[in-house]
Amino acid sequence: MAFKITKMIDLDSIDFLVDVEAPEVAERFHPGQFVMLMTRKEGERIPMSVMKVDDGKITMFIRKLGKTSKELRDGMTSFENVIGPLGNGIEEKAYGTVVVVSDAVCGHAENYAICDALGKIEGNNIISIQTFPSKKEVYPDEYLTKKIADRHFITTEDGSLGDKGSYVVTLKRLIENGVKIDYVFGGGKLPTMKAVSTVLAINNIDNLFTTRQMMVDGSGMCGSCRVYIDGEMKLSCIDGPMFDSRKINWTRAMKRYGMFKKEEKKANEYYEAHKGGCGQCQK
Amino acid sequence: MPKIKPRVPMGEQPPLQRIKNFKSVPYGYTEDEAVEEAARCIQCKKPKCEPACPVNIGIKEMNLLIAQRKFKEAYLLVKDDNTFPACSGRVCPQEKQCEGDCILKKFDEPVAIGKLEAFIADWGAKHKVEVEEIVANNEDKHVAIVGSGPAGLACAAECRKFGYAVTIYETLHKAGGVLQYGIPEFRLPKDIVDAEVKKLEEMGVKIELNHTVGQNIYYYELVSQNDAVFLAMGAGAPKFMGIQGENPLDGVYSSNEFLIRANLMKAYKFPEWDTPIDVGKVVAVLGAGNVAMDAARTALRLGAEEVHIIYRRTKEYAPARAEELHHALEEGIIFHELVNPVRFHGNDDGFIDYMELVKMELIEDKKGKLRPTPIEGSNFYMGVDTVIEALGTVPNRLFLDKAPEIKRDKNGVIIVDENHMTSVEGTFAGGDAASGAATVIKALGEGKNAAKAIHAYISMHNN
Ligand SMILES: Cc1cc2nc3c(=O)[nH]c(=O)nc-3n(C[C@H](O)[C@H](O)[C@H](O)COP(=O)(O)OP(=O)(O)OC[C@H]3O[C@@H](n4cnc5c(N)ncnc54)[C@H](O)[C@@H]3O)c2cc1C
Ligand SMILES: Cc1cc2nc3c(=O)[nH]c(=O)nc-3n(C[C@H](O)[C@H](O)[C@H](O)COP(=O)(O)OP(=O)(O)OC[C@H]3O[C@@H](n4cnc5c(N)ncnc54)[C@H](O)[C@@H]3O)c2cc1C
Ligand code: SF4
Ligand code: SF4
Ligand code: FES
Repeated sequence: MAFKITKMIDLDSIDFLVDVEAPEVAERFHPGQFVMLMTRKEGERIPMSVMKVDDGKITMFIRKLGKTSKELRDGMTSFENVIGPLGNGIEEKAYGTVVVVSDAVCGHAENYAICDALGKIEGNNIISIQTFPSKKEVYPDEYLTKKIADRHFITTEDGSLGDKGSYVVTLKRLIENGVKIDYVFGGGKLPTMKAVSTVLAINNIDNLFTTRQMMVDGSGMCGSCRVYIDGEMKLSCIDGPMFDSRKINWTRAMKRYGMFKKEEKKANEYYEAHKGGCGQCQK
Repeated sequence: MPKIKPRVPMGEQPPLQRIKNFKSVPYGYTEDEAVEEAARCIQCKKPKCEPACPVNIGIKEMNLLIAQRKFKEAYLLVKDDNTFPACSGRVCPQEKQCEGDCILKKFDEPVAIGKLEAFIADWGAKHKVEVEEIVANNEDKHVAIVGSGPAGLACAAECRKFGYAVTIYETLHKAGGVLQYGIPEFRLPKDIVDAEVKKLEEMGVKIELNHTVGQNIYYYELVSQNDAVFLAMGAGAPKFMGIQGENPLDGVYSSNEFLIRANLMKAYKFPEWDTPIDVGKVVAVLGAGNVAMDAARTALRLGAEEVHIIYRRTKEYAPARAEELHHALEEGIIFHELVNPVRFHGNDDGFIDYMELVKMELIEDKKGKLRPTPIEGSNFYMGVDTVIEALGTVPNRLFLDKAPEIKRDKNGVIIVDENHMTSVEGTFAGGDAASGAATVIKALGEGKNAAKAIHAYISMHNN
């Protein structure tokens, strides 16, 4: 069964938005959960966050990186598989003042899903902080959390818009200004998450962050996505994907993520050489 | 006693050739070879081989029919006792089962029962012999099966024969369980597994792939929508050594991850297939069971220069099938007996660099059992690029955590009664999920028997 792609638009120079028909997945999705995609039969099972679900369709932000996403960009009209929802959703309840932060594609998708769900619950005051490399990479307004959060901040790494630096800068400022924060959700780049975990620890703020580990099956069978939480081994796919950032061994999580660098380069080169589709090179 | 002819040898890819590909190692018997081998069976009055087979195949008669070239009859006979003879013939630990008790073993090699079974199964498939018959119409009764490994598939086939509407739910995007994602192509070609699955679908069994019970479909939904549920989730979660320095090193795989990447995701065809696998020059596999042999031989085929098996006992205690151990050694895999890893050391990039090991000795304990015991001060080092931990598997907690009403033991193994029923009425379990890691044939047998129990249960509640 193929899953039809119904929309694919450029968000900026590095990410794009994809809508795909996956009614069974859409029906059961909760913010914080993820899906796994297979672009084709020979494809990898790649984990993806979900921005929103609507009318049997799920919306994802996908980074233009690697072989798989290149294939997508080069005119794919359906996916072989959309598997999920996987992992655990967040508790959808009144938290008080919630800050949701993100600085990369998957984080932004989750940011949206969480703001959207929690914003509908009475008793939540939602502050969303989104970080982009520079002003020109900022997503169009309708794909930001601007309209659904009570307060919205943009920061850029080069300072061309908003605070200069990551969401950590803005979050720290909020704390310094005396905003009482009850809970933080976040995701995106691992080094930023590592940095924010210290801030959250010092200020003793409860939180959940997506570890984004390498996954294969996504259902607890391979152990590839293992992370160490307070020294104990957990599996991101079935115990997570979100964990208390204060307890995650980030140094470790970051190293593991680089495990297949060599192979990914090879896959990319292969794809570039073979995407013509003439079939000559297959022999 | 007449002089017994020697066993008809099975043609095989030579070791130096086969370590460069993933094709089946044995070529399989030709008709003439099978006839000759089957004729070695002396047709015992009381065949000892049959009770030693977990599903009690009519081995003696199978041999006679093959020897008489009545292949179709032989095929039907075997299929009657065993849902997937093509698989069991290839992967059963025959030396501990049927062939282990064959009378010929006293004089020479036992009859090659497994190879004959695989032959007759392949013959039946090749000649498209139909057997599966739906004997009743019970389509208004529904059976849900969780997991598409041998236990689930066998139960599905049998329930369908009783006429029930059967749906299998499978987490992965391909059906077959360990037969699909664990046991490598060179030992059990995936065409065979796919063909068996296809036959089930043709019988009307529905297979819902990408459905993880407890995750994107719930157990209570299955219970409310079906007349019986069969749990056959296997025992597929990996165990890690849990030794110092292991935590967090790259280049350390569970055998499950390694084999899933290689078999299910076909990483050996990378980059045509997208999933990568990183195999270093020197690979160490921890353990000496089937899983360890499969991982070691796969690593060799993926280009490792040296593959070492690290085992804390001696070869004769290795739990692997005799044939796999033999094939592995033939292929140049280096077997280290009486050693155990105590610590992993990484390099600056976080990759495994070398292992610290300790020598072991087997010391008799109070009960007279030989226990591997570390020899103090015997520690030594071994440089490695990749470590694969093949230390066995446990039931996956994903499902179990979400269905606490199903009783299980402290290892997570589901407790069942003699009718395969769990602590919840109408929910049955079998295969590795209800026994802990065991064998393909045991799972096939339990799946089939559970179907009979399910049939009895549904029939009883019908009246
Ligand atoms: C829970 C979770 C949510 C995610 N959400 C998103 C998302 O919303 N949008 C998005 O663009 N990406 C997301 N990712 C990351 C995404 O899965 C990888 O970028 C993707 O696998 C890359 O595939 P590729 O073929 O394009 O690139 P490749 O060339 O294969 O890899 C590029 C990089 O992606 C990472 N990666 C590769 N394979 C995996 C894998 N199986 N699991 C995890 N990371 C991998 C590696 O760091 C690698 O360096 C998420 C990952 C996780 C674990
Ligand atoms: C590498 C390897 C080599 C082996 N070699 C041999 C051998 O040579 N000979 C031999 O006799 N035995 C061998 N075994 C053991 C044998 O494969 C198992 O005993 C047998 O497969 C058990 O069958 P099963 O049907 O109980 O479970 P499995 O084959 O494990 O199948 C269980 C299925 O359930 C699915 N599943 C799990 N949880 C869920 C869920 N929540 N929802 C939906 N689906 C789910 C899994 O994805 C899987 O497909 C080997 C095992 C391994 C791992
Ligand atoms: S099923 Fe296994 S034990 Fe039984 S006859 Fe066949 S190979 Fe032997
Ligand atoms: S024990 Fe051996 S010789 Fe006797 S019937 Fe069985 S296979 Fe034939
Ligand atoms: S992805 Fe395999 S255990 Fe999590």
